[in-house]
Amino acid sequence: MKLTYKNTRRKSVIASLAAGALLLAACGGDDDDGDTAGGGEPAGESGGEQVAESGTINFYTDKAAWEPQFDEVSAASEEAVGFDLNFSGYSDANAYSAFIKQAFRTDEKPSLFTWHTGQPLKELVDEGLVANTSDLWADALGNGDLPADLEQYYTVDGEQYCVPLLVAYWVMYYSTDIFEQYNLTPPQTWDELIQIADTLAADGIPAFWHTNVLFSFVWFQTLLAGTDPDLYQRLSTGEASYTDPGVVEVMEMWGDMIDKGYFSAPDMADDPQTILKNGDVAMLNFGTFFTGQLNSIDLVSGEDYDFFIIPAVNPDLGATPLIFETGPLCVAEEANDRAEAMNYLDWWLTADAQTTWANSRGDVSFNPNAEVQDERLAALGVEASTDSYQLIERYFEATPTSILFTALDAFGQFVTDPGDPMPILETIQAEADAHWGSQ
Amino acid sequence: MTLLRQPERAATSALPAPRARSTYRWSAWGFTAPGVLIVAVLLYLPFLWTTYLSFTRYNGLGAPEWLGLANYEQMFSDPALLTSLRNTALWVVGTIVVPVGLGLLIAVLTYDMRFGSWFRLPFLIPYAISGVAVGIIWSFVLQTDGALSQALSFLGLPGSDSRWLLDAPLNTFVMIGAAAWQASGVNALLFVIGLQSIPKEPVEAARVDGASGVRLFRSILWPMLRPLTTVVIGLSIVASLKTFDIVWVMTEGGPGRSSETLAVTMYRETFVRTEYGLGAAISVFLTVVTLIASITYLRRQLSERRAV
Repeated sequence: MKLTYKNTRRKSVIASLAAGALLLAACGGDDDDGDTAGGGEPAGESGGEQVAESGTINFYTDKAAWEPQFDEVSAASEEAVGFDLNFSGYSDANAYSAFIKQAFRTDEKPSLFTWHTGQPLKELVDEGLVANTSDLWADALGNGDLPADLEQYYTVDGEQYCVPLLVAYWVMYYSTDIFEQYNLTPPQTWDELIQIADTLAADGIPAFWHTNVLFSFVWFQTLLAGTDPDLYQRLSTGEASYTDPGVVEVMEMWGDMIDKGYFSAPDMADDPQTILKNGDVAMLNFGTFFTGQLNSIDLVSGEDYDFFIIPAVNPDLGATPLIFETGPLCVAEEANDRAEAMNYLDWWLTADAQTTWANSRGDVSFNPNAEVQDERLAALGVEASTDSYQLIERYFEATPTSILFTALDAFGQFVTDPGDPMPILETIQAEADAHWGSQ
Repeated sequence: MTLLRQPERAATSALPAPRARSTYRWSAWGFTAPGVLIVAVLLYLPFLWTTYLSFTRYNGLGAPEWLGLANYEQMFSDPALLTSLRNTALWVVGTIVVPVGLGLLIAVLTYDMRFGSWFRLPFLIPYAISGVAVGIIWSFVLQTDGALSQALSFLGLPGSDSRWLLDAPLNTFVMIGAAAWQASGVNALLFVIGLQSIPKEPVEAARVDGASGVRLFRSILWPMLRPLTTVVIGLSIVASLKTFDIVWVMTEGGPGRSSETLAVTMYRETFVRTEYGLGAAISVFLTVVTLIASITYLRRQLSERRAV
């Protein structure tokens, strides 16, 4: 073929337009083939769709640090039900939340993902984005793999969504070295706890760790739930005000404790586990997942550290309030491999799965039939289910998002500069009024 | 005139026929299309979408709900935004005074010094570290009873009991210091390039006339550095207006939102509180502030240069 000037230019036009088209195609993406998640050997059918018997399920979480633990579970699930997990971990919870929300707008819905109970779960349910798990709950409640107490946190408009990824109880971890050095024993009452704090403060050692960022709510929940659990719960439903005299009293008690030198500076840069290891503080008010973090730096439960249930501030309470949290594991309603992911949840709830999961992390299990190796954690799990304790949902999940983050800022300010609590309580209440007024 | 017209005629006679011109134009469009598309898809569309979101209530799920100007009203009535504006202004001024000033000082003192590049090297190393890593390092230095407080105490100097990251606006000042630690070196490098590109003749002539030290700098070096200074300060203004990483890592804008900048406020509203509409309104406001500051500064500088 003779190559003419005209031909060359025509070719250049075609080539450049093709380049533009290729770019568009690259930007547009293509998922008509519905590949990836759940890819594996097809076997049975569910609702007209083929359900694979084995394969890999895409799993997303904001708990990136737990990748080795999820790998253990993945290996166990592959052996038990033929499915392993393709792990994608985010270490930034905010970025993760934005990612999951945006993923629902794409063809690649998150097959399995971790989330939060409370308002964040309700938001997904209201948009029809998460799979209904009522059948799984009914079965697991029937065979004792799930305790009935948990159901309410996964129920929206009478139906259940997601299943528990974990439960954790908030207890007081302490350095056994410091307790031995000062001849201290775990307290049975609030007064004994304060005596311990006084003893340590007299020697310039902060009894308790606290922070002015994310976990700034921890001592507020401990003091309020320990003083008046009913007020705590009414606060989370908008039935009580943050300017209630009971709340003000608790804030004043908190400020007094800070003034007495019970707390560390709220801007310590080290990780909490390192702080305990270094003996910078004597005690840390933390969820039981902290055991795994302590074990990860080679501390030994019962030797280097231990924990006790925080006594109620108010000795007249019938049952000791015990803060707990639970986080969900969810399946997207329109995931390509929804059926496979739901089968995975079915396995996840079993005692075998939860024995692996709880022990890989070093934490309690939501499944009463799971065998927790750490004796202290196992005993706590049994103890927590008795009538001596009243389980109270953690402030982070119990409080609507807009109020929560206003409160976190306010508590962060308070632990830095304790004083008259009323201005910050009024700020939180203004946000609460706006929230509950719009419901 | 004849000489000027000849190339025009030559060019006109070389133009292809109308059909060929049309093909040529299409070809040009084809070649520019990918670039135009990239700019449109990655820059203009997100900006337009963000502007639209700023008039809505949106939590990242479902459809945005139209609110009109409510987000802007809420934004300007929030006392936290005033604090954020004040801190951002401190960052702008602080970034110009400290890292730019320090960079200039290092450059002037070392540009014609023997082994000057070896002296400048340590100042450049922090630039290789990410802003997040700088924030983490300085958190350990500046925490209560941290390395700085211990050093001051050891040396018997005042300030060892300061709460560097807890008290406002002290926390903003020390974070500007941390940012200066990272950015001074690269500013020094840019100024050295500027100083080395100044013709030697006027400098030597000034020296022959007896100028040296401050006089030489004020009358010769500084005016001749001006084009580069305009660029360095212009970049610093834009960078300081969007200060985020170091603040987020060191204080998360706290305590009690006391060290937030506009970029941190935008992030918090959007990704922490999931108020995408309000976050978008702050984003639009920040864009407008950045554009006004940049254009005003550059116009003034360029018009002054033209006047000179």
